[in-house]
Amino acid sequence: MFSLSPEGVEFVKKECSRYETKHSAIIPSLYRVQKEKGWVPPEAVPYLSELTGLPESHINEVLSFYTMFNKKPVGKLHVQVCANISCAMNGGRELAEHLCKHFGVKDGEISKDGKITVSKVECLGSCGTAPMMQVNDQFIENLTPELALRKLKEMGV
Amino acid sequence: MPKCKINGQEVEVAAGSTIIQAYKAAGIDICHYCWHPGLSVAGVCRLCMVQIEGMPKLQIACNTEVKEGMVINNTSEVVKDTVKWGLDFHLINHPLDCPICDQAGECGLQDQYMQFGKYDPEMAEAKVKKHKVVDLGPTVVLDAERCILCSRCVRFTEEVSKTNELGIFNRGDRSEIGTVEGKPLDNNYSLNTVDICPVGALTSRDFRFRQRVWYLKEADSVCPGCSTGCSVKVHYNEEGLWRVKPRENKEVNGYWMCDTGRDTYKFVNLKARLLSGRIGKRDQWQEISAEDATRSAGLKLRETVQKHGPDSVALVVTGQYTNEEYKDLLKFFTGELKSKNVYHWLNNPEKMKDFDGLLFRGDRNPNTMGLSAALAAHGVSSKWETLQSQLSGRKLKMVVVAGPENQATFPDMKEKIQMLSQADGLIWLTAGLNADLNQVGSETWQVPLKAYVEKAGSFTNFEGRVQPFKAGTTIVPQALTLSEAVELLAGRDLNWALRPKGLGGPKTNYAVTQRGTL
Amino acid sequence: METKLLTEHYGKDEYIKIDGYKKHGGYAVLAKALKMDPKAIIEEVKASGLRGRGGAGFPTGMKWSFLPANGEPRYLLCNADEGEPGTFKDRLMMERAPHQLIEGMIISAFAIGSKKSYIYIRGEYDHPIRVVREAIAEAYKAGMLGKNILGSGFDHDMDVYAGAGAYICGEETGMISSIEGLKGQPKLKPPFPAVQGYLRKPTIVNNVETLAAVKYIIRDGAAAYRKYGTEKSPGTKLFSVSGNVLKPGNYEIPLGTPLKDVIFNLCGGLKPGRKLKAVIPGGSSAPVLTADEAMKVTMDYEALAQMGSMLGSGAVIVMDDSNDMVDMLDVIMHFYHHESCGQCTPCREGTGWLSKIVHRIRHGEGTVNDINLVKTVSERMMGKTICALSDAAAMPAISFVTKFRGEFEDYVKKGNQVGGALHA
Repeated sequence: MFSLSPEGVEFVKKECSRYETKHSAIIPSLYRVQKEKGWVPPEAVPYLSELTGLPESHINEVLSFYTMFNKKPVGKLHVQVCANISCAMNGGRELAEHLCKHFGVKDGEISKDGKITVSKVECLGSCGTAPMMQVNDQFIENLTPELALRKLKEMGV
Repeated sequence: MPKCKINGQEVEVAAGSTIIQAYKAAGIDICHYCWHPGLSVAGVCRLCMVQIEGMPKLQIACNTEVKEGMVINNTSEVVKDTVKWGLDFHLINHPLDCPICDQAGECGLQDQYMQFGKYDPEMAEAKVKKHKVVDLGPTVVLDAERCILCSRCVRFTEEVSKTNELGIFNRGDRSEIGTVEGKPLDNNYSLNTVDICPVGALTSRDFRFRQRVWYLKEADSVCPGCSTGCSVKVHYNEEGLWRVKPRENKEVNGYWMCDTGRDTYKFVNLKARLLSGRIGKRDQWQEISAEDATRSAGLKLRETVQKHGPDSVALVVTGQYTNEEYKDLLKFFTGELKSKNVYHWLNNPEKMKDFDGLLFRGDRNPNTMGLSAALAAHGVSSKWETLQSQLSGRKLKMVVVAGPENQATFPDMKEKIQMLSQADGLIWLTAGLNADLNQVGSETWQVPLKAYVEKAGSFTNFEGRVQPFKAGTTIVPQALTLSEAVELLAGRDLNWALRPKGLGGPKTNYAVTQRGTL
Repeated sequence: METKLLTEHYGKDEYIKIDGYKKHGGYAVLAKALKMDPKAIIEEVKASGLRGRGGAGFPTGMKWSFLPANGEPRYLLCNADEGEPGTFKDRLMMERAPHQLIEGMIISAFAIGSKKSYIYIRGEYDHPIRVVREAIAEAYKAGMLGKNILGSGFDHDMDVYAGAGAYICGEETGMISSIEGLKGQPKLKPPFPAVQGYLRKPTIVNNVETLAAVKYIIRDGAAAYRKYGTEKSPGTKLFSVSGNVLKPGNYEIPLGTPLKDVIFNLCGGLKPGRKLKAVIPGGSSAPVLTADEAMKVTMDYEALAQMGSMLGSGAVIVMDDSNDMVDMLDVIMHFYHHESCGQCTPCREGTGWLSKIVHRIRHGEGTVNDINLVKTVSERMMGKTICALSDAAAMPAISFVTKFRGEFEDYVKKGNQVGGALHA
């Protein structure tokens, strides 16, 4: 049975009355699920529906629309490498491929030990410091493949 | 009342009308998918583009209000080009599987492409793959590849049924209609989503793959499923009825009907029907023509009144007949037989006032109001309890029953048949077969009646609205209307030249008798 | 050339916190504004000629004046969903000068009579979200937000709403949908947000940079602001320069500055031995400029429009001759395909179609007809949808295949064996 922590439940309830409309609580609630579970499993949808009184379909629409919600489990380090234009011009795609090869994973896949997921993503707004990667919440910029690996090593993989 | 010019034609519309409403009112063709008069404006298919004089860009007709003096067209080359390409954008990821699609023949994509399309597709890429044969719930099946994401069904579950089962998940060309696990599309209005789906994405589990729609004929009717009396269309062929769909009626049902009402084609078809007259009792039945069975019943009935007086007979009647039939029946019974023993058989007295807030009512009879009015007009106000005491006191020699046509709405059928068969003789007039009736021990005449689609007449709905309807088709050729049965019971004759011929029953494909292997 | 108005204190860490901010004159303009007639503030903004800095360039004062004059509750939404590829100016503003944005917002809210505002920040901007949240908390504590701000009788509440990954939420009505807790799908117009926006109430959506600029217009007056820039494009603008320049970054310059000065002076020019090939002047949606065009154009709304492109969000992506334009368009088309919200058919289907055609050309499987088809399809996607994402995909497509047709033809002729291909 899926459930949030008591603090998580409290958080969702608070968000429900924080905004002018209860629907606005959906995005923060899904973030909360992701924070606790590392991803948003499908069972979270009926759970949040029950908790908030909002229709399952609306919650699932939001979950499926936005890319930051992980619809499948990701590694402890979720490495998102920008492959959009300015980064592509500066080796962003090669960086992503290098990391995938190094960790033996495909784009968007979780490593066997569950430590890392490497995904190519769209523009993260760090174009002047290309190429870059976002590791969990943190931007790491002006990268080379070697530098990226060193940073990831420091972070535990 | 602003006036505008559409394709050169002067059109006056109600204030606040949109351009697409003006097109519809004027009967001028305009291509569209997402707009539906019973739903909010989505403005996403982008096909109802029009050119308005003085505006640099094309506008969508569904979200643009008509203003006085507007000069509008959808025939200029730029509009035509836009619509052509708009249709192609709809089709590039559509599977084009019309030969195996249930919607073929009544498909918005087919129809509008024939009328407005480009005819030389340029898409050479692999199509987006989506889910097929998705089980949305007990009534509806989805093919997401056929879906053009017009969002009509989603808006329906949000705005009309207010059940919110459907959503559009994911984004871009990966978007798909769907439900969430554990919350299927399961409400009493679910099949309206199939009606409003302009393509073959949503199909009815009940109807899909059973008939090609171009072989079906349609007739207007009134749904007999409850006292709302939604305007409907029945679709039929030689074998009988295949489906019931709602017909627009702003006063009664808008554009919708309930799923329960859609089942009203089932009890009309041959399998559920009494096909000829029957005389006899438990396990000893003689099949004779409807006419002879009715005459014989009439003879016995009139003889009983003569011998034992009018109080020795009773009439039990349900709210499932037309106003015209009630008039004839009551005139005969109270006028000619002079009996006041007329009883209104209520199927679910405790639920009569129920209402789901949309269309479906607890009174599962189409004409309770009509019957009550007819009873009052003939000065009849007998209590059901009186009938019970008359029966248990063995005071009744003959009981005539105008039984329910939609027997499923009478949960107490068996019990009531047993109760009524306490009379010495039973004349049972009904459209439907009933196994319990075949088990009664008293002498019984079963007379086959026509069902609602086989006769003309009118029902008076819950609010007193009299709704006339015409005969659609004939399924049981022998069956009589209640009025015809009354004539025969009274010993008079019918004009047989005017009786309809049957449509002939199941079709046999004479060309192929053996099925091959795949 | 660099004119530091909004960016004056970017270098100072103390400026991030309210005390440091106040030391540099922070919230003094708010105090001044609260003593003004709100109408006078709107007039001042109108007079300044400030145009929306998010991408569309709509005159800010005029946008404000579309609000109904009744007392209906109204909302101010700050668009910090900076997603246009090449753009990173709002992120820096939020990280380096969050109070400047908040002060600009309170002034703007006072002008339009709004008691509630949201800053909608894209979810990926985790650090800016935290900085702005802390700054808002500080502002509340200091009495700059909440009830009776600075004794003026004006009440205002402000909150941050974090997005969750969708470019389309940068479109103002998409953003409104997102704050309302829905998919970030743009809404039909009319009604426009100023009449019916957030929760169908009158709403103004302005970009981060626009709202911060309001502070300086009120501080110095419209006339002073107009000293920068050109007649029709007054003021300074933040440009995010990226790509093949030696010193990429954020630069604040007066509008009307020649692009070649930006590239070759401010940004240190190109790598030795490289030649300028093309510049995307306003984010990936803006039609690409050839080197010749780039050397001639000035960075203002009019000059870029005249050149067939646009100023957009001010994201300048500089491309030298090492770039493969077919590859670049492939990247751009992939982006729009990924980001189309999917409600309007021409965009939903067209972005995917374009991406597939360009991808095929890029992999040596295209024909000359495919190059033409890119243009034909793009033209049919323009001006046909609820929002401008469809146009944003079509414009670069048309400009790339038109201005660099030779490179596309090379791919058609020689398959993917073209020099410069990175991922053959």
